[in-house]
Amino acid sequence: MEVLETIFNVSLIAAMLRTTTPILLVALGGTFTTKAGIFNIGLEGQMLLGAFFAVLGSLWTQSAWGGVAIGVLAAMCVALTFSIFVVTLRANEVVVGLALNILAGGLTITLTKAIFGTRGSIVSGDIVGLPRLHIPVIEDLGSLGKALGSFTPLIYLAFILVFVVWVIIYRTKLGLYIRVAGEKPAAAEALGIPTGLMQHIASLLCGLFAGLAGAHLSLGYITMFAENMSSGRGFMAVAVLIFSAGDPVKVLFGCLLFGFADALSLRLQTFGLSSYLVLTVPYLVTLGALFLLTYRQRPKIFRETAESLQLIRRGKA
Amino acid sequence: MSVDTTPTPVRSSWRMPNWLESILGQLIALGIAIIGGAILIILVGEDPILVFTTLLRGAFGNSERIAGSLLQATPIIIAGVAACIALRGGLFNIGVEGQLYMGGFAAAFVGFQFALPAGLHMLVALAAAVVAGGLWILIPAFFRARFGTNEVVSTILSNYVAILLTSYLTIDVFKRPGGWSETDPVATTAYLPQLFEFSRLNFGLFIGLALAVGFHLFLTRTSAGYGMNTMGANMKFAEYGGIAVKRNILIILLCSGAVGGLAGGVETLGVHHRFMEGFAPGFGFDGVIAALLANGSPIGVIFTALFFGALRAGSLLMEVETNASREVITVFQAIIILCVSAQILLRRRRDSSQGERRWKF
Repeated sequence: MEVLETIFNVSLIAAMLRTTTPILLVALGGTFTTKAGIFNIGLEGQMLLGAFFAVLGSLWTQSAWGGVAIGVLAAMCVALTFSIFVVTLRANEVVVGLALNILAGGLTITLTKAIFGTRGSIVSGDIVGLPRLHIPVIEDLGSLGKALGSFTPLIYLAFILVFVVWVIIYRTKLGLYIRVAGEKPAAAEALGIPTGLMQHIASLLCGLFAGLAGAHLSLGYITMFAENMSSGRGFMAVAVLIFSAGDPVKVLFGCLLFGFADALSLRLQTFGLSSYLVLTVPYLVTLGALFLLTYRQRPKIFRETAESLQLIRRGKA
Repeated sequence: MSVDTTPTPVRSSWRMPNWLESILGQLIALGIAIIGGAILIILVGEDPILVFTTLLRGAFGNSERIAGSLLQATPIIIAGVAACIALRGGLFNIGVEGQLYMGGFAAAFVGFQFALPAGLHMLVALAAAVVAGGLWILIPAFFRARFGTNEVVSTILSNYVAILLTSYLTIDVFKRPGGWSETDPVATTAYLPQLFEFSRLNFGLFIGLALAVGFHLFLTRTSAGYGMNTMGANMKFAEYGGIAVKRNILIILLCSGAVGGLAGGVETLGVHHRFMEGFAPGFGFDGVIAALLANGSPIGVIFTALFFGALRAGSLLMEVETNASREVITVFQAIIILCVSAQILLRRRRDSSQGERRWKF
């Protein structure tokens, strides 16, 4: 029991929220593309490039938020490239996504070597990381509060954004149009909704979130860039998106599960278990969840929502 | 099959054959990639002409370097055929990298753990690689076939597990005392024969070529191959046509994984003669890209894999002699794939006549 107590305690919850954040941010971005009917395997690359340019931006502007902005811009550029190829040029989304992931991996390593003369990572005292907030109201709530009241800002933002994304998708015209473009493109065209534009917008929003996720990795989680530091989180996010069908609330719970697995694996390393085996835990949990939860869904990812049906009926009337 | 690609009606009866159009498209893509690569090299502060000539010299400078290019191409050809098998069945196997690691370890394990007569030892080790690769894709393949679980994501994620698992086995279980993140060496009885004195180029190259040609013959000369093509072109249509799609998905993915495992076995038994952590970085991914670039054609894969092998070999010299890192070539590869993927613009009309091929550019 003592072992269990040392594993499961307040700091594990805090660690879980920290490790959940990057997956949650990138998966929230993916909800837009999922709802717009795009299978976006390129999340990984957007996140990685976001992380790299966030560090560069932080060095250039000497400001953490400058870094975040530049990281987000870089990720959005990748997202725009993705949507131009997939939506405008009608290229295969898996092929383009893979190519952009490879591009991001190669580009970050090449530029790291060119700018810093090093291979593998950028470590520097000059990188301005995101500050830890101190929220007095939460911090006063005992030991749990102390752990939860002093995160870097993007962690709080990620959980707030779950709600924001839910509102955008289910309660705004933009969200409705994006969903119709994804679920019933023919109906959307008939109603005069520009499906292509909606998919571009969804992809750009996705890039925005992926960029935030990357910036959190390199400026919030730790303050450095390492090659391939996104280490499959973008792909885990895609797995979450598949079994949540892009619903932000389900996405939150899926991501919490992986955040928990991630935090647990970090904790298990201190118990002398092989670090290699322990590091497989998040991937295995993701795979397990993917297999268990998709067996009912079959290939049909999108379910018709009442709203889109209503809209179509109204359009016909 | 072939429909003219010019927008205006053409009276002449000559139509550009598919393969010619495909090669033309790839040459255009190559041209754009060279320009994009040159821009990146200039950004990095190097002279693109110098970098490209160094790259070429590294790939083809002398007979040793040509052998080096073929050596690098060997696992890419086999991994490329693995990816082709899935593609032609209308499926993606992005997990070739992981199958390659598992196959590589399995072959090395049989190589250093057991004592068998020469030749037989090698065959058993290669068989172990095949089995390991097949087993590694078994669960994703089963869920894809039975429940339609997206195989792209499940195979990508299993790559990470495979790489970590083989690292664990190598470093925490079978590490050679005093060695550097590697297992005991494989017994010489399990070596793949070398072709020349001066290079580690080995018999694996012929295994790759034979696999590619064999798969080509299977596709074009057998009724099972015809069924597979139908499935790849349009899975729904194949199902209506009475093809046991679910069972075939399982078989196709298992074969694809098995060949992926073989790529790893050939690499350990032919080149390294032991399993090392990170022994074959990116060969599986290169195979997938080579297969995509070849549009799923096994004969095409031979050429795209040779091209990528030459790029890899050249990039090693490039990194030594210039300031550009060898990852420039991965950027280069990515641009080529992007360009080729976009050429659907030129070919949209033909695609509509071919039905829905999931991976079709």
